[in-house]
Amino acid sequence: MGLIEYQTVLGRMLREQNRDDHLRGVTLEESESRYLENLRDTAEFRFYGSVQRSWCIARATKAAHLTLSLLPQDERERLLDEWVDSGSGAQSFFFVEAESFLNFIGRKLSDRPREFTVCQFERATLRASNGADVFVAPDPALLQKADTCLRRGSYAALVSFEAEPDQSSHGPLAELFSADLILMFSPGLPQLWHEPAPDELALWDALDSPTLLRTLLNHGHSLETLERLLTHGAVETTP
Amino acid sequence: MQDNAHHPVNGKPVQSLGVGFPYFAALPADLYRSDLVSFVEITPETLCRQRVTGTTIQIDIAADRLATAQETCAGLPVVIHGVELSIGSAHGLNNAYLRMLDSFQKEWPFAWHSEHLGFQTIAGDNDSRLEIGVPLPMPATVEAIELVATRSANIQKRYSVPFLLENPAHYFSELPADPEIGNEYKFLNVFTEQSGCYLLLDLHNLYCNAVNHHFNARDVIDTLPLDRVIEIHVAGGSWRDGFWMDAHDGRVPEPVWELLEYVLPRAPNVGGVVFELLEEYAIRLGVSAIENELRRAWRVWTLSHGPN
Repeated sequence: MGLIEYQTVLGRMLREQNRDDHLRGVTLEESESRYLENLRDTAEFRFYGSVQRSWCIARATKAAHLTLSLLPQDERERLLDEWVDSGSGAQSFFFVEAESFLNFIGRKLSDRPREFTVCQFERATLRASNGADVFVAPDPALLQKADTCLRRGSYAALVSFEAEPDQSSHGPLAELFSADLILMFSPGLPQLWHEPAPDELALWDALDSPTLLRTLLNHGHSLETLERLLTHGAVETTP
Repeated sequence: MQDNAHHPVNGKPVQSLGVGFPYFAALPADLYRSDLVSFVEITPETLCRQRVTGTTIQIDIAADRLATAQETCAGLPVVIHGVELSIGSAHGLNNAYLRMLDSFQKEWPFAWHSEHLGFQTIAGDNDSRLEIGVPLPMPATVEAIELVATRSANIQKRYSVPFLLENPAHYFSELPADPEIGNEYKFLNVFTEQSGCYLLLDLHNLYCNAVNHHFNARDVIDTLPLDRVIEIHVAGGSWRDGFWMDAHDGRVPEPVWELLEYVLPRAPNVGGVVFELLEEYAIRLGVSAIENELRRAWRVWTLSHGPN
């Protein structure tokens, strides 16, 4: 059996434990196919499968600890199963795994606004702290050219904790929601977050797509606000 | 005590470093400044962050994490023990890891460099690289050896320090094998001959395989090219679902210490012994217990090598 065929099928058998088409696109002799199929029925393969699955679940759980803690156990397990069944959860670098999983559960929480907000909060914290490892405040002189194009920072995020009529179920996060709090996360801030001023919020809203500096100034955004958010990493220039 | 000028690699002798311990940011720096640790094993990925843009992967060294590690290790010699290379992946190894290590070596030169013999990625659609989620062992085939030996020789040349492959723990009772190779341990012999590279003999991995696959670890040790062993790992594990697992979750079992006592006098070019742990278990185990394991490793080291 060729090495690439062996590795491809064995890797798929572990990544896609709920599928049966691991031989797709792979040419094997009958005896080789039989060997791999028989391997699936062994205690040792089942052990590998169990270890692989538990490691994938552990990676995802670590990535979204806060959000998952707010969900009922059956919902939590369903989301984790769906994530791992899709072949995800295997990436060894924490940030990449965490960002992917938080995006995934964010899409699943459209009918749960409170949990969705906490998911955004968890992702914003993760992004800003990851960005802080590499963020270098850019030279404000970039803002001297009117044709500079600006966008929201790659490691920045805005999270709105909107108050809901029924505050009783918010538990330990009730204060955040009851205060109608808005937090801006940026990698260049000492604590990675602050409560944005109205001019900063207006600028963030204006940058829902990349915009020329000239246009922003024409719409009344101040150079001082731009410079401040650029220095924090909430705003960046486009490449 | 043996001559410290060991087997030359690229014209340089292998350094005799003594007993080492992995770098963990969460442990007190004092541990690395004690007499119990004479070199540090760095897994460089833990000092990095990864960026994925489309199908392109970049691994960047995080400058602040690197600076903290260098300050903690306070001038101790370091060796590299990577986990991300996937040297045996037929579709390609992790070149992003090697590019990162190029930069790392400039920042922090290392005495030698080791990786795990195995694969953990397969090809996905559109040239993507899919992680399997667990490391898997190589079949003992001519094709597998040629792939790994060629890549290893290139890596050893690239960094001009010894490149070591670690024998894996795995849970398959039988691996596919070509008759001219025989089995996974003969693979190691052929690998060192073909590549000119070296071995990291992980005694706990060998112990796991011996327990799970019912063979005598010493019999296997006697077949290995012990003159090519530059580093030795000892570690702990635990039972899970009827298998002894290479979990790196605690103290070294007594049979593994006995294997170390057996191997060290027979492996003339060993440069160091490392007590392996996962960071989360290092914190749970605590500094005092770690120190006890390191003292034990020093006792065995000193018996065959004399005091460092």
